[in-house]
Amino acid sequence: MNKHKITDNMKTAADMKIGEKARIEDIDNSHPSSHRLMEIGFTPGQEIEMLNKTLFNDPISFSIRGSIIAIRKNEAASIKI
Amino acid sequence: MKEQTTVNKTPLIAITGQPNTGKTTLFNQLSGKKFKTVNYPGSTVEYSVSKILSKYAVNANILDSPGIISLLPVSPDEELSVQTLFNHPEYGTPDIIAVTVDASQLSRNLYLVRQLINSGFNVVVILTMLDLLHKKGFDISDKKLSEILKCDVVKVNSMTGEGIDNFLTSVNKSIQQLGKMSENNSVKKNYPLSRENLLKSYTEIEQIEKDVIFAANIPENINETDLVKINKELVVLNSPGSFQKPDEFTLKLDKIVLHKFWGLIIFFLTMLLMFTSVFYIAAPAMDLVNEAFSFLSESASELLGDNWYGNLLSQGIISGVGSVLVFLPQILILFLILSLLEDSGFLARGAMIIDKPLSKLGLNGKSFVPMLSGFACAIPAMMATRTITNKKERMLTIFIIPLMSCSARLPVYALLIAFLIPKEDALTGGLTLTLIYIFSIVSSLVIASVVNKFSKSFLRTSDNSSFILELPAYRKPKLASSITSMFSNAKQYVVKAGPVILYLSVILWVLTYLPNYDPVVNETGRSEDEIVMLKNSERIATSYASEIGHFIEPVMKPLGMDWRVGVALIATFAAREVFVSSLMVIFKVTDTGEDNQNSLLSAMQNATFENTEIKIFTPATTAGLIVFFVFALQCLSTVAISKKETGGWKIPLMQIVTFTFIAYISAFITVNGLRFFGVE
Repeated sequence: MNKHKITDNMKTAADMKIGEKARIEDIDNSHPSSHRLMEIGFTPGQEIEMLNKTLFNDPISFSIRGSIIAIRKNEAASIKI
Repeated sequence: MKEQTTVNKTPLIAITGQPNTGKTTLFNQLSGKKFKTVNYPGSTVEYSVSKILSKYAVNANILDSPGIISLLPVSPDEELSVQTLFNHPEYGTPDIIAVTVDASQLSRNLYLVRQLINSGFNVVVILTMLDLLHKKGFDISDKKLSEILKCDVVKVNSMTGEGIDNFLTSVNKSIQQLGKMSENNSVKKNYPLSRENLLKSYTEIEQIEKDVIFAANIPENINETDLVKINKELVVLNSPGSFQKPDEFTLKLDKIVLHKFWGLIIFFLTMLLMFTSVFYIAAPAMDLVNEAFSFLSESASELLGDNWYGNLLSQGIISGVGSVLVFLPQILILFLILSLLEDSGFLARGAMIIDKPLSKLGLNGKSFVPMLSGFACAIPAMMATRTITNKKERMLTIFIIPLMSCSARLPVYALLIAFLIPKEDALTGGLTLTLIYIFSIVSSLVIASVVNKFSKSFLRTSDNSSFILELPAYRKPKLASSITSMFSNAKQYVVKAGPVILYLSVILWVLTYLPNYDPVVNETGRSEDEIVMLKNSERIATSYASEIGHFIEPVMKPLGMDWRVGVALIATFAAREVFVSSLMVIFKVTDTGEDNQNSLLSAMQNATFENTEIKIFTPATTAGLIVFFVFALQCLSTVAISKKETGGWKIPLMQIVTFTFIAYISAFITVNGLRFFGVE
């Protein structure tokens, strides 16, 4: 079993509200973007803040490591908080 | 052999770094903007290569390439950037890699730096964006960082050039060592690929970050124990991780720019402002170019007289060059505005705002910038799609880019609108043009979604559709660097499309001038002017072009066009802007004192089907022509780039067939629909 798999009952970055802060617990390995997300700085232990949602609540922008990164909702859903 | 070349050649410094770290600004500083762009063999990715300015007294070449996030590429542009770093087929492996590092986002940038160092490159770290770091209330110790990374670290303000001397000193030192070094310091791809290695690397980087970043207003030459002490105090003074907060001003402005409602309003207003200013600023310049070439053509004709070479020069070559240059003002202005918007940080937000709607159509937020560039010229636009990670989305973006109303269509629309609507009524004319643009955008999106629906058979790929984009801190754009970018984009266009258009103008001239170059006409009782006119029309009626035109006339008839418009349309399949100049050649617009456009307009008004009184150019047929130009892919250079960028003939051929078919059918419907409703 993939120990980094996210199950339904876990809270993810996609569930955050604007202005909410959280610490990253894990990144879902099964998501195809997971490696790039980690490379760009979304690593376990980092604090993220949800900054903005656009018209359709997708993509979402986060503050991470002093940068602002916009990612799609389904990518945010691979970030467990 | 290999050793010899490495000893003798001019050292090569490659500048790399994450996107938005001031890489290109630095490159411009070092090169003095006197660079040439080179292709990566086998692709169309362009790199800027230059010698370092002589005032810096360093003998080395510098190479700029698109930004990368890590050495593990996910998009075509990243892949080529990485390949270039490891081994450029022409320039070899760079002797020195200068990595720009945004000091205000240190950890994310150090990730790439460490990959490069671990791969065995000779790295110099250039700390940029120090003003943003200072704004946060922090500073960075370059000495400390240099000790930890075991490579040179310099602070450079890429905007003012402050600190560039230190960089060059470091480069000079490295170059001197190059000679002494043997061949065995080879670089190899050696960087963490596994999740464990990646996380380990970041853990180490976080420690480095703690060691080198300190609260500002503290002298930099403090000793180590002081720094540790200060860092401890910092934890008390500032909430932990306040260094990790993005730029304050950017956060505030984003609340408006990315607002669900206001963001959308700002987005559309910006686009509207951009396009209207392009037209209004470019219009006088375009008129000027038009008039200048009319004058040249006229003078050449007068000077050389009515013979084949005079005719070739004035009708073939001069009007050919003129038709290339007439849309240059528009391209320049559009690329200038795009570059200013990009540097300010707005385009990244635009891409984010429009990602969702575009993804519904099978495109990507990252298709946004290429599509915008497509309004200037499809060639740089198709190259700009390389930032799109997903292959299918990238192919679809390339597929619809020719539908963006590029500036080459503008002279055509301008002529046809001038024919439909009197010049005095500028408002209706402008409105019509806006409608054409909106029509072309809407239909391109419709076509994208239809192609996306049926794409399984020809765009088969199961890539991950992804949108991960850094939203850079808002910055005041620098006009000088935008002007550089504007010229390099416009150059691509003139260099690639220009010669094609010129050759075609000459070929077209040949086709309309031969074989009956000196027709015999009845001269008795006619004035000299009349004889010239008569000779012209006799010559064209018996020319090769006429033969071709008559051959395709059955296809043109349903559109209400005769063979002459057919010939002009055939010519436009090479490049659409040829339309105006080929109409001039075919209708033998010889000057009567007016400028070319006005004399062409009157020639069009008088044109009738041969041996009849039926007018060719009516409101219905003119509208049909406009619709034809909205869809038809009439640009050889675009086809060539499309083939290169998509890696085969499949997509360019599909584009030609689909767009020609749609163009013909819609033009047919427009002409006959209008006629049905009583518009002639």
